[in-house]
Amino acid sequence: MDKIGLYLGCLIPTEQYAYEMALREVLPDLGIELVDVEGVACCGAPLRHINLSLTMYLSARNMAIFEKEGLDILAPCPYCHQALSEAKHVMENNPALKAKINSNLETEGLTYKGTIKHYHVLDLLHDVIGIDNIKEHVEEPLDANIAAHYGCHLIRPNDIPRPDDSENPQKLETLLKTIGAKSDYYKEKLDCCGAHIMVNESESALTKTGQKLQAVEEQGFDALTTLCPWGHRMFDAKQEDAAKVVGGSIDVPVLYYLQLLGIAMGKDQNTLGLTLNLSPTDKLSFIEEEI
Amino acid sequence: MSIIDLTSMAEPEGEQQDKINEILKTLKEDIPNDCYQCGKCTSGCEAFILLELEPHKVMALSKSGFIDELLNSDVIWTCVTCLKCKERCPQDLAPVDVIFALKNIAVASGKQIDTGISNMLQSVLGSGYIQQPKEVVDKDNKAVTRDSLGLPSLPAPKEIQKLQQVLMKAATETLG
Repeated sequence: MDKIGLYLGCLIPTEQYAYEMALREVLPDLGIELVDVEGVACCGAPLRHINLSLTMYLSARNMAIFEKEGLDILAPCPYCHQALSEAKHVMENNPALKAKINSNLETEGLTYKGTIKHYHVLDLLHDVIGIDNIKEHVEEPLDANIAAHYGCHLIRPNDIPRPDDSENPQKLETLLKTIGAKSDYYKEKLDCCGAHIMVNESESALTKTGQKLQAVEEQGFDALTTLCPWGHRMFDAKQEDAAKVVGGSIDVPVLYYLQLLGIAMGKDQNTLGLTLNLSPTDKLSFIEEEI
Repeated sequence: MSIIDLTSMAEPEGEQQDKINEILKTLKEDIPNDCYQCGKCTSGCEAFILLELEPHKVMALSKSGFIDELLNSDVIWTCVTCLKCKERCPQDLAPVDVIFALKNIAVASGKQIDTGISNMLQSVLGSGYIQQPKEVVDKDNKAVTRDSLGLPSLPAPKEIQKLQQVLMKAATETLG
């Protein structure tokens, strides 16, 4: 693979800019050309509360646009990735529904055939680019014990194809080891970040965020790494709010895995969006003081 | 008042049950008939301790037809969609999808929903996205934008009216 269509969804390109900066900076060095595609919109996952048909239509619509361009998709947001996976799976198994969605797509001059694949950063790095290839690019191995947070939608449900195992995912730990870091097991690893109910039950949402961060801190991790803009927003930008809700202080550096990878590859840290992480990343020895 | 208290006064509603099944059929999910109340979903539910969501009770009530009680209860809006219930159900059922179906029916029947959720729909209808690019602050409290960070402009639907029109139509269609 050399070219892949970049599908950022809603949250990454409207506020989680660090994730976008890091992936635009790092992936081309690993041989992946990212192509921006016009006309795309929301994946529909956030509208699933309201109407499943909207979710299905929007996911199919985005896939149809990339298919028209002849590009596979990189969806770095697990929530988007799961919505695309589900729509693809449902349409593969239900031709009548596929026909119905296609008749609506026609209004926008689109058709969904189902000929392209979509990836998340996790499987793109681990399965496509490959561990050996990444290892060759590591110039400054990171000396730290980093807790892994996958994001619920990245690994579940397992009746549709997901990038890693639903109960015992290990690819992120492998990727952390590849850049020199340690990633111990912790029993809260698969705990939810709470993001999904932030809009209507913010105190409970922040309690979940705070509890997971406290667990990470108590077990002596140096940092937490994420693969999801929703989880990252909770653990990083909302860390102070979460600390207030659960009581006490929390001091956990939170970084996107691609930011860590970029640092290990010796990239100019200015290009990785590190000033946008609001958690105390400067505690880490490998973060430059003045960036 | 808990859901269980409410059901003591209720009559089962067959028609509402059909609506749930219609939505679940889209996903080729099974209706809750095969649920034998093992409680595995609730034991792993991420919203159980904090918000008292008990997916096995949602399943039991849906199976028995107490749909209005569920539609009128805030409990269906506490699901964090971690999907663990769907993952772990020994009967291959999907409480999370039943909860989503209930929310869809609540919306369709005009129940009041949180404005944060309805705002996302308005935003997608107006621009294609749940929100527009924001100005965010960095570590030094400096405001930055996509532009100032050198990121390309956000791709957008070419004809938003057309997308809006299709979405309005899709929303009224059953997919099953």
